[in-house]
Amino acid sequence: MIPFQFITAFLMMAMGIYALLYRRNLIKLILALNIIDSGIHLLLISFGYRVELGRIPTAPIYTGYETVKGAMVAPLPQALTLTSIVIGVCVLALAMALTMNAYRHYGSLDVKELRRLRG
Amino acid sequence: MMLPYLIVVPLLGAFAMPIIGLLGEKAREAWAVVVTAVTLGVAVEVFNTVWRGGILLYTLGGKGPLGNGVSFPVRIVWEVDLVSALFALMVTFVAFVAVLYSTEYMRHDTGLEKYYTLVILLEVGMLGIAITGDLFNFYVFLEIMSIASYALVAFRNDTWEGIEAGIKYMFVGSLASSFVLLGIVLLYGEYGTLTMAYIAKMVAENPTFTAKVALGFLIGGLLFKSGAVPVHMWLADAHPAAPSSISAMLSGLVIKIGGTYALARLAFSVFSLGINVRTMGWVIVLFACATLIAGNAMAVVQTDMKRLFAFSSVGQIGYILLGTGIGLAAYGSDVGNLALAGAIYHTVNHAIIKALLFLVAGAVIHQIGTRNLNELSGIAKRMPVTSFAFLVGAAAIIGLPPMNGFASKWLIYESSALFNPLVAVIAVIGTAFSFAAYIRVLFTFFGRPSERVLTAREPGKAMLVPMLLLVVAIIIMGLFPWYIGDRIMVPAAKTLENTGAYILALTGGA
Repeated sequence: MIPFQFITAFLMMAMGIYALLYRRNLIKLILALNIIDSGIHLLLISFGYRVELGRIPTAPIYTGYETVKGAMVAPLPQALTLTSIVIGVCVLALAMALTMNAYRHYGSLDVKELRRLRG
Repeated sequence: MMLPYLIVVPLLGAFAMPIIGLLGEKAREAWAVVVTAVTLGVAVEVFNTVWRGGILLYTLGGKGPLGNGVSFPVRIVWEVDLVSALFALMVTFVAFVAVLYSTEYMRHDTGLEKYYTLVILLEVGMLGIAITGDLFNFYVFLEIMSIASYALVAFRNDTWEGIEAGIKYMFVGSLASSFVLLGIVLLYGEYGTLTMAYIAKMVAENPTFTAKVALGFLIGGLLFKSGAVPVHMWLADAHPAAPSSISAMLSGLVIKIGGTYALARLAFSVFSLGINVRTMGWVIVLFACATLIAGNAMAVVQTDMKRLFAFSSVGQIGYILLGTGIGLAAYGSDVGNLALAGAIYHTVNHAIIKALLFLVAGAVIHQIGTRNLNELSGIAKRMPVTSFAFLVGAAAIIGLPPMNGFASKWLIYESSALFNPLVAVIAVIGTAFSFAAYIRVLFTFFGRPSERVLTAREPGKAMLVPMLLLVVAIIIMGLFPWYIGDRIMVPAAKTLENTGAYILALTGGA
């Protein structure tokens, strides 16, 4: 039995790749890239979740921990996800800037129009 | 221990650049040249240490990689063996030459403080990939390198060409990076650690299906980044559209460090103990054969000089992948060792040669303003030094004996012929195509001067000196091929194959 978070994550990646292949609008392609990224982040975060019988899974923060006494989830995937989100935003910003420039040069956002380089 | 300065110096250089840039154009250029030169010095020192002393391990923020009272690594480690040190040396050398060249070449462009920042960040990313021993750290450096190179390909954003190539490169590259990240995430989910050497140990103990899926994603992503054949189209657009100093770095370094080196590192140092290396080797050999033929054959029909060089890069990546693939498929035998040594040797050689060729193309574009080969006949009469540099580069890339390309290609031919004659035949056909492509350019250079060329002049010193530096490197490496092969490349191949030593360097013999 595969946990539903993993299924959701892989569905998101599949949706992103589908959109990357079959959409023609550049902005939709950028969104597709972001959806793929989010799917991977979801997968990564859900690898860190842990269930212990009788203990509530809590965030790994020690402030006020004495009152809860829960089972802390793994902190490492959260650090990785944070890094990866920053990288994702960076790519998003650059992609948006390039898309604006492409509109200036081509007057269209259709990727099928970006075909002047051939050979 | 000079190893941290390999990252510290260029990072300081990149982050100080916007401030130094306020002092004016001269200060900015001088700063970029000084920073890359110092990095080159550090890389020489690191290479020297590793060459004499074996694998170098550096732990970030601690004395040793192992945690307090536990026997597994908890910190980010940098693990530098001979291959990493060699490639770090190659990266810093070519980056230094490219920065020196761009002081004159990029003078007509605007926004140069951003240009130099990005170039130095590109260098940081590549050096990080070469030295890191941690999978997520590897991904972060891969993204630093990739994002800097997307921005540099689209640097001349007033031309449609740069933007179109940048967009293509960016979408393909981001998808490839996502695949790499997915592979790393799956490995983390399966084994709960991110240190390469420790994952290697755990894969050896318990090779699961998930690890194989992760390996598939990693290889897929890295083949994208290296421009192997089914996914090479971005490369032929991106390299011609970038400024020539950047094409030299992209073609000479980025596709090798982010592509073939990372592939070899993951295949040999992480997965070689746990999975069937023969299968993985044959998969890479198949891609390599397709890359060889398609890349070199496409180079023959080009009329655009830089596009021709870009397709030739695809073809040469084929040789490197072929060597790596045979090294995996014939793992542990003399043939495999020879092939891997050839692949490492060819990586270094091709980085120098292709950097030279792209710098020559840049000089031609800078002085004459076109890169259409049909309009460029007879450059040799007006630009003799540039033509001489091209002659050396072309001879080296085809693999004529006095140049450095001969020895590395010979190692790959010999080992592929011993491995499987059919593969050797394919390799020779690839070289025949490459020969045809470069002979065509050579005739263009030495023909009758056309009208456009008649008024051309040699570029200034800041562009000629970098080209001559690379020419000297090619000739010196060409004069002592077997000395370099036996003293550096074969030991490097041996350290890459010796996964046990790589793991042992981390755990400290425990």
